[in-house]
Amino acid sequence: MRTFAALLLKEERAIFTSPIAYVVLSVFLVIMGYTFTLTLFVSHVPTLVHLFFQIYVLFLLTIPIITMRLIAEERRLRTIEILFTAPVSEPAVVFAKYLASLSLVVLMLISSGAYAITLGLLGQPDWGPIYSGYLGLLLLSAALVAVGLLASSLVSNQVIAALLSLSLFLLLWIIDHLGWMLPDPFDALVVNLSLLVHFTPFATGSIFFSDAGFFISVALLALFFSVRAIARR
Amino acid sequence: MADSVVVDGLVKRYGRRAVVRGVSFAIEKGEIVGLLGPNGSGKSTILRILGGYLPPTAGAVSISGIDVASNTLTARRHIGYVAEDAPLYDGMRVGEFLHFMAAIKGVPAAPGAVAEATQRLDLGAVFGTPIGKLSRGYRQRVAIAQALLNDPPLLILDEPTNALDAYQVIAVRGLIRSLFGRRTVLVASHVLTEIERVASRVMILVDGQLLTTDAMRETSTARHVRVRVGGPRPTILDALQQLPGILGVVPADAEGYLVEVAPERPMAADLAQAIVARGFPLLELAEVKPDLERVFLDLIRRATVTDAKAA
Repeated sequence: MRTFAALLLKEERAIFTSPIAYVVLSVFLVIMGYTFTLTLFVSHVPTLVHLFFQIYVLFLLTIPIITMRLIAEERRLRTIEILFTAPVSEPAVVFAKYLASLSLVVLMLISSGAYAITLGLLGQPDWGPIYSGYLGLLLLSAALVAVGLLASSLVSNQVIAALLSLSLFLLLWIIDHLGWMLPDPFDALVVNLSLLVHFTPFATGSIFFSDAGFFISVALLALFFSVRAIARR
Repeated sequence: MADSVVVDGLVKRYGRRAVVRGVSFAIEKGEIVGLLGPNGSGKSTILRILGGYLPPTAGAVSISGIDVASNTLTARRHIGYVAEDAPLYDGMRVGEFLHFMAAIKGVPAAPGAVAEATQRLDLGAVFGTPIGKLSRGYRQRVAIAQALLNDPPLLILDEPTNALDAYQVIAVRGLIRSLFGRRTVLVASHVLTEIERVASRVMILVDGQLLTTDAMRETSTARHVRVRVGGPRPTILDALQQLPGILGVVPADAEGYLVEVAPERPMAADLAQAIVARGFPLLELAEVKPDLERVFLDLIRRATVTDAKAA
């Protein structure tokens, strides 16, 4: 437990002493603030649905930047050799990196809570879709960070890791459009791989176990393969 | 004395390419053993397998009786590992890094261990400095300090004096020597003089194969005797060359000769007897300590000849 705490602390420090974290956080808040203000003043409807879809897109674009260095940099600088000649296991290293990256994304979500509070102060929003939207974003980010981590564990170049995860995210974003063109039963299979298909119910106030299960499964599978990728030296 | 490290039939392949080919050796507790070989001979791969970083393709490696492949985490607790070129976390400060390493190694009294390693490697002046701003010498010292934190019975050092200046090389050499008898040390280098100066035993690795596990006692290599014999130099030279078991004679200083003796021959006594029996006054006779460079080149030459014959 002490080993894991040390690994987690090291990763948290690495993330929060890096300018990338603050650039990503700032860009995120500026864009969210603009969207929130514009939507509220144009529509006069106390809802965060537009905001949730905007966060969804921003996560697809920013999470590869957050996760790209996680393991690729350790490989490139060969610091991975220090880690794995010390008595630490691959799952502990992967999970510490995962939780640390996820904590930055959660901080972004918490920061966006300011818009929900503003909405509550200015009007009478329906809190159900807001709670479900945040739950959906949390599950989505859990899956995206894990996939980003997997991409970083496969290569030793950060830029390639970022491009790899970004490509994968974009593919999973639009894959439902391709799925509709396929014959039965492949259409359902491919459509169900879509991130948007599973996120939309959360953003609009519906919670299904199947959607939550999808994100959790993706996260667990990606973490499992990340451990395998690191172990294959 | 019990063996601290036992390597048996170690093989490492990357695809079809064999990097380590059937390497076996043992290291006793407290020995400082040098692993000498040209760049790309497989030294780092062997060290990484010993450190639990790489899995072997075949063969067995045990450290303090613990099998490294099946019990990797436990085995890693018994080693201190310094990788080639000292890869470290540049963004961390020295103290922060040492505390981190102590924590992940599960060192029970971490602050004490960090303080001791800091003092021993003389890192007090840079304790709060980011590692990325350190000189190569300091980086190497930080790398050695982290390796010593858990007081490991086995210390593995991969090219520890690489790219250090002369002063730093002397300091690192002194540190390694100070560990003799207290810790088992395996140090790899391609620099022959470095290995010769720190190791009590030298293993030579070429092209993934171990040519000898003790180069200095390599009995199949010709040995040398320095003799001083009275008399005219041409006559003595001629007479010495005709003695049985003599491979060559080179004139040295006044009345001195360097005699190369066949490996299977007994040396000092027989040679002295033969010189005296021929009526020459023997003024001095001393066995010359085997020269590692000569042994190294001789082993490589023989390995090349054997390979050529096999081909």
